[in-house]
Amino acid sequence: MTEQLVFMLQLVISGIAVGGVYSLMALGFVLIYKASSVVNFGPGELVLFGAYVAWATILQMRLPLVLALPLTLGVAILLGLVIERGVLRPLIGEPLISVIMVTFGFASVIRGFLNMTWGSDTRPFPVLFSQEPFRVGPVPVSPVHLWSFVGVMLLLGAFSLFFRFSLTGMAMRATADNQQVAQSLGVSVKWIFALSWCIATCVSTLAGIILGSVRGGVDFSLAELGLKVFPVVILGGLDSVAGAIIGGVLIGVLENLSGGYLDPLLGGGVKEVAPFVVLVVILMLRPYGFFGKVEIVRV
Amino acid sequence: MRCGGFRVSYRSDERIFDTPVPIVALVLFLGALALVPRFATTYWLDVLNRIGIAVIGALGLNILVGFTGQISIGHAAFLAVGAYATAILEVNAGLPFYLAIPLAALLTAAFGLVFGIPSLRLRGLYLAIATLAAHFITTFGIIHWESMTKGVLGFMVPPATVFGLPLDSDARIFYLIFALTVPAVLVTKNLFRTKVGRAFIAIRDRDVAASVMGVSLYRYKLLAFVISSFYAGVAGGLMAHHSRILFPDAFTLLVAIDYLAMIIIGGMGSILGSIFGAVFMTLLPEVLKLTATSLTGVYPQAFGLIASARDIVFGLAVIFFLTYEPQGLARIWVRMRSYWTLWPYSY
Amino acid sequence: MSRVHRPLVGFVLFGLLVLGLGAAPADAQTAIKLGNLVDLTGPTSDQGKDIAQGRIDAVQYLNERGGINGRKIELVSVEYGFQPPRAVAAYKRFIEEDRVLLVLGYGTPDTEALRPFITKDKIPYLSGSYSGHLTDPRQTPYNFPGGIDYTSQIRIFLNYVRETWKDPSRKPRVAFIYADNAYGRAPIESGRKYAPEVGVDLVDEEVIPTVLTDATSQLLTMQKKDPDFAYINTNTQWVPVVLKDSYKLGLRTKYVVNNYGLDERTPKLAGDAAEGVIGIQDVAYWGDNVPGMKILMEFHAKHHGGDVHASPYMRGWLWVIVAAEAIKRAGPNPTGETIKNALETLKEFDTWGLTPPFTYTSEDHRPTNRARLVQIKGGKVVPMHEVTVARDMKWIGK
Repeated sequence: MTEQLVFMLQLVISGIAVGGVYSLMALGFVLIYKASSVVNFGPGELVLFGAYVAWATILQMRLPLVLALPLTLGVAILLGLVIERGVLRPLIGEPLISVIMVTFGFASVIRGFLNMTWGSDTRPFPVLFSQEPFRVGPVPVSPVHLWSFVGVMLLLGAFSLFFRFSLTGMAMRATADNQQVAQSLGVSVKWIFALSWCIATCVSTLAGIILGSVRGGVDFSLAELGLKVFPVVILGGLDSVAGAIIGGVLIGVLENLSGGYLDPLLGGGVKEVAPFVVLVVILMLRPYGFFGKVEIVRV
Repeated sequence: MRCGGFRVSYRSDERIFDTPVPIVALVLFLGALALVPRFATTYWLDVLNRIGIAVIGALGLNILVGFTGQISIGHAAFLAVGAYATAILEVNAGLPFYLAIPLAALLTAAFGLVFGIPSLRLRGLYLAIATLAAHFITTFGIIHWESMTKGVLGFMVPPATVFGLPLDSDARIFYLIFALTVPAVLVTKNLFRTKVGRAFIAIRDRDVAASVMGVSLYRYKLLAFVISSFYAGVAGGLMAHHSRILFPDAFTLLVAIDYLAMIIIGGMGSILGSIFGAVFMTLLPEVLKLTATSLTGVYPQAFGLIASARDIVFGLAVIFFLTYEPQGLARIWVRMRSYWTLWPYSY
Repeated sequence: MSRVHRPLVGFVLFGLLVLGLGAAPADAQTAIKLGNLVDLTGPTSDQGKDIAQGRIDAVQYLNERGGINGRKIELVSVEYGFQPPRAVAAYKRFIEEDRVLLVLGYGTPDTEALRPFITKDKIPYLSGSYSGHLTDPRQTPYNFPGGIDYTSQIRIFLNYVRETWKDPSRKPRVAFIYADNAYGRAPIESGRKYAPEVGVDLVDEEVIPTVLTDATSQLLTMQKKDPDFAYINTNTQWVPVVLKDSYKLGLRTKYVVNNYGLDERTPKLAGDAAEGVIGIQDVAYWGDNVPGMKILMEFHAKHHGGDVHASPYMRGWLWVIVAAEAIKRAGPNPTGETIKNALETLKEFDTWGLTPPFTYTSEDHRPTNRARLVQIKGGKVVPMHEVTVARDMKWIGK
């Protein structure tokens, strides 16, 4: 294989690996939107929360994994309930800008709370996956990335089935479509909201654990990654689970390719901005994203 | 005591002040403001200067978001363009500040025009996300166009000079800033007495209906972006002269969120709200710092805790206002005033 | 009152209370006030937290022993999230409200931004930033970097490469990997000039964002040029990302990291990827066998024994010790100017063994030209040997 081809393949494959993590984060976002039409502008903070709690249970309290994991998820569920009850419930029916700002607001609170409780140093993350890379063709991939990719695919399958065939899943989709009608048909909208937030926080927590393992440490920069969710969900559609997966992988590959080819030309930083350029282009061509549903506005 | 309104013509309906009393009060207030630099410390002048700049920026954002209903998270990018444009025009082209700032503001307005084009196709959430993307793209441009902006190394701005007198202290630049803030408020107030202002409000309330009625969405949405960015350009130019050194770090997404918080906490669609919001958001970190410093004197070990308090207080303030008073401080003010004027009746 | 008014009135009352507290002067007349800037919430907060704690502890320690010349030291502390505008605002406050005599500065962007202000106001500025741009008294007479400057460090790296290179058939190839901010970039220009002087080929430069999550594409690009050594100039939080990605890709490049990039925590954060990586040590690590360590460890155990600390904590102490010494030498009524002059009298000043002795002169504000090379072996940071770099006036201020 020519050197150029190998280089490109390396970028593509590691892009897919990183993209798996983006998909996981986007999944949390999509789940909330799918069920309650709420846009979460603080996805990074939820991921951060999950990572810190996981760190605390495993390293600070030194619980065995078998106890630590359910405890972490339990705390995540609690957070989901708190957010839904305390923050989003009073804002049902308020204009979009208020909801967006409120999500910024609690993202801030979570960040401050984490800083206060655990401080801002980098905490080394427990080693949950082996460090030795294994090779896909000429490209080394770390096991963490592989596991995250596998995990994401499993979740994709699980959620697709859930939304399609289970009663609760259908109830969620109904609620997202039209709350009043769903309620009149007997769906408990409050419970659906709470459930969707709890699932979302759990997924974000898993993303946090994966990210912590990838980086080897938890610290506040994880939250910055959160904004990368937006190019992913615009590409994939705000309410499409499959779209989140595809979008994540595509964005990961795109980032790496632009990093590999454009960074040397433009002096760095292109990697971070490329997904947003793509986002704008997509929105201009298809205002509702690739897989999003078109809204019909009536007077 | 006045009871009720009694207007007999359209002209009188449009008047800003019904009676001479508010005008006198306003003049006295402005007079007092002019005397402030003689008595206040540099620290408080710095705070007031930042409030003045924030008011202009908040007014701009409120025009776009509060009055026209176009959600924009890109305000920090506009401020950045205004600030850097001013700096570059002064340093590279040698223009004096009274030419550089308006020119920079026009440039920012043109930039806003480009920014605004997505708003023609996108609504609500998608527009918000597009403005988010535009913010990052702009920041990238500023950081990496180093030959012009000096990127992360910082761009030093010489002080503005008025008849040879350099405005290099907070006391002096106070006058420049408020010489622009006060007219900005007046201009905004008048904007909403005109056809343009009413068109904006119509677009916010029901844009499809507005276009059916003959309001050109195309024209007025872009105009909203243009006017809003002009304000931001002015605010940015003043920032350049106030802090005298520009870093891309001064224009992060958090700045855009701070401005959004200003207009939400202050009151969307309200000029008084923009002012209140600007004051509140600028004073909040200062109050926290004062608490931190006085507490640290007693408990030195508590310093670390107070630092994270800023985020928590900010978040709680936003949540509190959105939950209990969605119309912000302006509404609370109106309520307090009417309580006062209408007592003992409640309405 | 309506239900909205009650919490609002409460909020206002609380605010007034706080303002009242803030206005109350505490022993104001006799205390020596020092400005203190730290980052506790931004991208260097992992350093900032320990630095802040170190400074606070050192001041408390000194005050327990009577302060300086009988006067207590008071730290006016401001957290600024590594955002230069907030640092500038804090500085204005330090000067006007608190009338500090010296500022314990922090980051490179804000320290460099404040240069003209502190020169005009004649306030000595002892910074956590070791940028070479702060070392020339002709340009920045009031700036004093608190450790061996970044330009000297990059020269140490290039000297090391030259000394250990054994292959006579070609020149060694190096790359610079640095953060996209004023701190990361500070020594790069000088590094580019110095490399050819020692016969080293600079083949690649990679810029990484201030907040780094994945360095794969940058490393793959670097790999094409196949450098033998690479110098990493970013913060301790991000260095493990580079190391781990490099390990994963199987790059054979050997890494040297600057003083702020590698410390006791790196082996744990980077795991196997950290093996063999070399760092430049400017200050003692926690538990090192130096005279001052005992004092620090006792104090720490007495007041917050539960925490863990790393080298930034030592730096916090170090800078307070240096500042206190200068203030003491400035006599009973120190001013900014006399303290600056006093700093310039420090010659081979013993910093409790935490660093090589400090010397500031009126021509050269580089405190030392000695450092130690350390290497990560078996998951621990192991000292290699001490290095010296010539106090060449050619590199001052750069």
